[in-house]
Amino acid sequence: MKLRIDKAKCVGNARCAAVSEELFPLDEDGYIAVEQIDVPAGKEGLARRGARACPERIIIIEDEGQ
Amino acid sequence: MTGAATLSPAVPKPAHVPDAAVYDFDMFADPAYVADPHKRVMDLVQNAPRVFWTPRNGGHWMLMSHAAIFNAARDIEAFSSEIVPQSQIKAMVARLPPGTPHIPQPLPINIDPPDHTKYRAPLNRVFSPKAINALKNDIRALANQLLDRVADKGRCEFMTEVAEPLPVQVFLKMLGLPLERQEEYRAIVKDHLSDPDPDPKNVMKKLLHITAIMRDTMLERRENPRDDIISLLWKTEIDGKPTTMDDMENYGVVLFIAGLDTVMNGIGHGVRHLAMDLPLQDQLRQNPQLVAEATEEILRRYTFTVPPRVVGKDMEFEGLQMKKGERAMLFLPAADLDPKEYANSESVDLKRENKVHIAFNAGPHRCLGSHLARVELQIVYEQVLARLPQFRLDPEHPPTFHCGHIIGVDSLHLTWNS
Ligand code: HEM
Ligand code: SF4
Repeated sequence: MKLRIDKAKCVGNARCAAVSEELFPLDEDGYIAVEQIDVPAGKEGLARRGARACPERIIIIEDEGQ
Repeated sequence: MTGAATLSPAVPKPAHVPDAAVYDFDMFADPAYVADPHKRVMDLVQNAPRVFWTPRNGGHWMLMSHAAIFNAARDIEAFSSEIVPQSQIKAMVARLPPGTPHIPQPLPINIDPPDHTKYRAPLNRVFSPKAINALKNDIRALANQLLDRVADKGRCEFMTEVAEPLPVQVFLKMLGLPLERQEEYRAIVKDHLSDPDPDPKNVMKKLLHITAIMRDTMLERRENPRDDIISLLWKTEIDGKPTTMDDMENYGVVLFIAGLDTVMNGIGHGVRHLAMDLPLQDQLRQNPQLVAEATEEILRRYTFTVPPRVVGKDMEFEGLQMKKGERAMLFLPAADLDPKEYANSESVDLKRENKVHIAFNAGPHRCLGSHLARVELQIVYEQVLARLPQFRLDPEHPPTFHCGHIIGVDSLHLTWNS
């Protein structure tokens, strides 16, 4: 599973990181640190919840994987 | 301060506003709104147009639907936050006689990108989740102190005893301001902030009053930095330039305006809900780990701020003609009760699939203090539930409210068996 993040639109409210700090790393200012996430096997549910939690709707499920 | 009795006069409708888009609602004084705000919000959600123009308070647009607000909040050309344009502020300041004190401005709340970003960036660092999590123990200790004072009494007016002093104390601690001057700050919060008086002279006086009581500490921290926000802000740069005293005053004002009245009323709405929803109290007492989710759902159900915007250009929005310079309110309380976005939007449902609300708005101005706000709200709910037995509204003193850019709780009398 792959996530794409429209990083420029992140406003840094860390709702994604509140779901999982490991999957959704933040930079020092509290903005999302990455533009793409390769979700490790078994973490798909967490990834989906993190994507849904983003109030800006900028975490997009690119590839559902298995 | 219940100005509910008098509606502002209705002004004539401009020609480009169709009759179907007019709905008469006074966001400061509508009697049903002031009596029980979110009940009236629900009524508006069901019966008012999704975007309407009201003739009250000089005439302005009201954006109600989740979709309209979500789009408007991120289209800064269409909906500007510069209620008074920065160019006009600069011209005004240039005309002041030399020696006039710096007039503080609540940056970045009232300025559009790209300049907005310059002023927001240093605050972002200071209010990162990491920085806020470090405050949790202090906040919990403060909450316990306030609650222990009332626990034996069996009743209290919760706003004065807990909801209002807590955020003020957290604010002072975080910024590094002397706790001894608490009463002064509380007096400003109480008397001035919820005052709807829009007279710019009075607004200016309030802002100057806020900076005046912070000035000594700010100057002192420049020389002797400590582990607090004022010291941190001195060390940051704004757009590559070192922070000046004027910048510090601007930050002091924006944090004061944005961080006190808001948290206090958020606590008020949440604790009122808990007092009316005894099964939820029981559920949370048994499962304190659900408090975080409950905090989100309560924020959604009782969204209480109404950020103002100015239409930035002549345009069509949601099928309506809007003209540059007209005012528009992002009526967030309605967006978060929009049934198109949330099924059974009126019920507080911890199992709700979609709890992603816009109580903190969306887009570039999205609340910068939301981590802190969430931590304060969660801790208050946790400690209220831990320190007080089942509590209810006092039937003899029902809660009272005031309305405007913030839906505020004036009084919240609770009772319990002590
Ligand atoms: C439950 C409590 C709170 C609520 C509901 C809330 C709500 C909001 C909303 C709706 C906005 C957007 C305003 C706009 O779009 O014009 C905002 C902005 C802001 N808030 Fe909060 N707020 C809360 C607590 C706090 C706290 C505790 C702080 C900091 C100490 C804070 C600092 C700010 C700042 C600095 C801005 C301006 C951000 C910008 O313009 O970029 N807020 N808040
Ligand atoms: S939830 Fe969305 S906006 Fe917030 S930090 Fe994560 S990516 Fe950014």
